[in-house]
Amino acid sequence: MDTILEVRNLTKRFHGLQAIDRVTFTLERNQILGLIGPNGAGKTTLVSLVSGTLQPTEGSVLFEGKPIHRLAGFRRALLGIARTFQVMRPFPGLTVLDNVAVGALFGAAGSARQLAAARENANRWLHFVGLDHRARQRADALGGPDRKRLELAKALAMRPKLLLLDEVMAGLNPVEIEEVITVIKKVRDQGISIVVIEHVMKAIQSLSDRLLVLHHGEKIAEGKPEEVLRNDQVIAAYLGSKRR
Amino acid sequence: MKPALKFASAALVVGVFATVPLWGSAVLVQFGINALILATLAQSWNIIGGYTGYPSFGNSVFYGLGGYGVAIAMVQYHLSFALGLILGATLAVLFAFLIGLPVLRLRGHYFAIATLGLAEVMTAIVSNLEIAGRNIGLILPLAKGDALFFELSLALVVVTTLTVAWISRSRFGFGLIAIRENEEAAAVMGVNTTLYKVLAFALCSVFSAVAGGIHAYWITYLDPGSAFDVALNVQMIIMAVFGGPGTIFGPILGAFALSAISEILASKITSLASIFFGVVIVVAIVFMPRGFADLIQNFRRLGWRYFQENLKAHRV
Repeated sequence: MDTILEVRNLTKRFHGLQAIDRVTFTLERNQILGLIGPNGAGKTTLVSLVSGTLQPTEGSVLFEGKPIHRLAGFRRALLGIARTFQVMRPFPGLTVLDNVAVGALFGAAGSARQLAAARENANRWLHFVGLDHRARQRADALGGPDRKRLELAKALAMRPKLLLLDEVMAGLNPVEIEEVITVIKKVRDQGISIVVIEHVMKAIQSLSDRLLVLHHGEKIAEGKPEEVLRNDQVIAAYLGSKRR
Repeated sequence: MKPALKFASAALVVGVFATVPLWGSAVLVQFGINALILATLAQSWNIIGGYTGYPSFGNSVFYGLGGYGVAIAMVQYHLSFALGLILGATLAVLFAFLIGLPVLRLRGHYFAIATLGLAEVMTAIVSNLEIAGRNIGLILPLAKGDALFFELSLALVVVTTLTVAWISRSRFGFGLIAIRENEEAAAVMGVNTTLYKVLAFALCSVFSAVAGGIHAYWITYLDPGSAFDVALNVQMIIMAVFGGPGTIFGPILGAFALSAISEILASKITSLASIFFGVVIVVAIVFMPRGFADLIQNFRRLGWRYFQENLKAHRV
């Protein structure tokens, strides 16, 4: 198969804290990788190292075979990597439509470079995530679930090849979660490879082709969802070790 | 309003303005030149402060460099005024790149404080330069008539405003706005934040420098203290914020409104003028914190409630 993302021995230290410790994994094109682990395991840090929000201490990240771990964040965006933020970062003073238009104006090479075309593009992505009825409102007028949708639309408008989703379902109700799962599957069907961080187990199980489990910055398991979730080490990390 | 209608009415206003030197009194024309130069400064501050969200206190340095470019070219090398403007603008752009690269890494208050020091540093440097006349300054050749300076200043405001209008609808401008709204998110979406910020700084330096050059030739005298005056920088910020930062016409409206108010106050009640001027600004900030442009946009819809809403929103 065709590998889109390869992470080798990736390490990130914040002063004394080992946030990510020699993590290695690969993601095949058009696949969904679920990234799970307890709070503080280093999931968001790992995504930030791939998206360029943070620079690694050691190790390498290869995107379509080329090393990218020394590139600035915006260059990785132009190559085709998009991410969402767990703590949403809309452009508060802009309309919802223009928030997404920024993604179309910039983002991966080949996106719309003219404002009119970018807004047209943005409209389509807002429709795609079910937010078109709020296009003309300011982004800071949106509530939690709609902000999650906006994060997703902004990332999609960049026309990425690799999409990194950091807890886009947190705080949503079961119906909304179903909607987002449908959207993510539709995104994958367009040929986009995806890394999903999620705490909603049912969602991650139904979405992921493979799962990767982080604990204290280390990879403790990787494989098919059903196998990984039976793994004793994983159960121990999530529920505490079994009593003897 | 339709864009075409907006453009036509703006062109009409500029056309009427252009005739002022034909019928206006000398006082009116001189007031006009000052107001137009301040409008240019407020408008160019708008690029870095209003659109990009970096409240620069270093724009008076660009203004001063523009003045010195003209003065040095004309006095020391007997070059033309136009070449002097080019020299001044070049100096300002070089300075913007040189200082912008390190200083634009700072955000918010830190950026403001770092740029605040620049004017003092430049005053000290220029005061010791033989070519710039040290702390005595330079006396420029006498120019002919106020009408020319009025038209030049008007043309400069128009060019600056057209540039801002372009920014507000271009990819470049959306990059700047994205930086203002959330710099980290902008970078992740593919905006080359360092490059965009420095370009914005350089762009606003050009217009400020040309304004400084025109002013220096008009006044025919230049010294370090008045060229790099931080108070002027404060003035352009107040005008831009009063009018509405991050809007196309706000800073222009702000510059004219505040110039007129301070002129009227100064002629009617000379000694207390600055106190009343301060009161006007405080009242404006309390009742219309997003500026004049925002007031015009929302007053028709909300009426007097607009002021109430602002009071409530800011818990005054």
